[in-house]
Amino acid sequence: MYDSFLVRKDSLQNVCKDGEVVGFKFAVQLANYRGIYLSLVNGFYVNMDGVEYDQDDLTLEVNGQPPRTMAELAKAVWEHWDLQDEAFVNVRKPGGLEKGAHKLGYLPSTMDAYGYQAHDEEWVKNPPKPGAGGGKTYRVCWFDLELK
Amino acid sequence: MIHRGVSLYSYQQNEFFHTMNWKDEFREVATNLHGADGIEIISECTIPHYPFPPESFIFDWRNELARWGLKAVTMDTYLDTLQFRDHVMSHAETAERLKYDLELAHKMGFRNMRLCHNVPLQSVEMVLDLAEKYDIRMTNEIHAPSPIKPKRGVNWGETVARDVAFIQKTGTKHYGLQPDMGIFQHKPNRVMIAYSLRATMSKEDADKISQEIIQRFDEMDRDSLKAWGEENYPTLFKSRMAEMLLRGNSADPLDLYDIFPYIYCIHGKFYEMTEIPGEPGHYEEKSMLYPEVIAILSDLGYDGYIDSEYEGQRSQQDMGYEGLPNEVEEVRRHHEMMARLIENSTKNNLFKV
Repeated sequence: MYDSFLVRKDSLQNVCKDGEVVGFKFAVQLANYRGIYLSLVNGFYVNMDGVEYDQDDLTLEVNGQPPRTMAELAKAVWEHWDLQDEAFVNVRKPGGLEKGAHKLGYLPSTMDAYGYQAHDEEWVKNPPKPGAGGGKTYRVCWFDLELK
Repeated sequence: MIHRGVSLYSYQQNEFFHTMNWKDEFREVATNLHGADGIEIISECTIPHYPFPPESFIFDWRNELARWGLKAVTMDTYLDTLQFRDHVMSHAETAERLKYDLELAHKMGFRNMRLCHNVPLQSVEMVLDLAEKYDIRMTNEIHAPSPIKPKRGVNWGETVARDVAFIQKTGTKHYGLQPDMGIFQHKPNRVMIAYSLRATMSKEDADKISQEIIQRFDEMDRDSLKAWGEENYPTLFKSRMAEMLLRGNSADPLDLYDIFPYIYCIHGKFYEMTEIPGEPGHYEEKSMLYPEVIAILSDLGYDGYIDSEYEGQRSQQDMGYEGLPNEVEEVRRHHEMMARLIENSTKNNLFKV
């Protein structure tokens, strides 16, 4: 769903902390027709200019809160990410990105469900690897972004 | 009398792009749909900050219903069994979620609350009292590829029989069925075929070939079609979509007679409304058996809602803004069709001699 629209095209920017560029971020919306509990966010497949990033390098900035790790999001079991709301995926990359054109491969992995599923117990212990399952968009979506 | 409504699910793309909100959608339903007056929602799309909306939203909601003369027909709920992440939700926890959703549905004035099809009856039983107190009818959706009557080799084939046995055992009037028109989809929808084709070809070619494939479904039997498809378009006809393409309808419209007393709402699923050749301004959903189903519902004296559930947008969001379908126009066409079919069926019912 929303293959061409999951990432806002003009949203790419570097992230500064204490005067240093520590990474980059881009704005996303849910690949869904409804919002979901934040705890159901399992991770994101992020491939920037051919480099795939580990989940440990990613945080999500949503609902006006500071960026949270995937482990922190898993604990937000009553906090909802509404369909209409944008969030920023923050990616750790000391020095950030160069100005100019960049190519992003992106696919969110979420664990929203239609009731009990055969894989439920398995997913508690071993959630799917982001990029390989979870959610309503099934193929990695590619975006041409520009850092201004 | 068959009533017409809209699931705001139909406007999900407008919600995503912030081009319409639920108030805009109310106005559209009330003013442009030939007298439709029913509203169905996806709880986790329409309700801000679900599951804890501000009181001001509930006030607004009631006020807008009254303003436009609309009825809150059905609230669709979900069951995210992994919400707590460290364990699979227990049946008792599921019941607690249902209770909370019933409270919300009650505050918002809903008549029905649709459950996910995998909600255990044990959980349903735990909340029957509350549903009765609020007089809200919970429904289990019969969604493709589930049939109405058990079919050999089909998953979920026993669900309807299970539900009917439960209703008869408990005598409840607050749990029933919600068929989705997708179970009467007798051939594939063109937009989904075109989406799959675009993975390997241009939009123009995908449009042309998807038309050709749909045409074949009108002309050939399934076995010949399978052979033709596998020879000419192997990537499509040998993909995981192939079974779906060739499946045919999972339920027979006549099966509605068997479950009629338990039907509380119907999802008017559709993918693409096209103009009927030679009938300007009249539209049809070629992949589904709407005329047959509406004639039967009319014969049965169905006194409930069919709520539009447009789902064609999902297969057309890979092409940029210019390629997005117009949800508002699709729903208007759907109601032109439904209003016409309902009117015709009451004038001249196929099943009344």
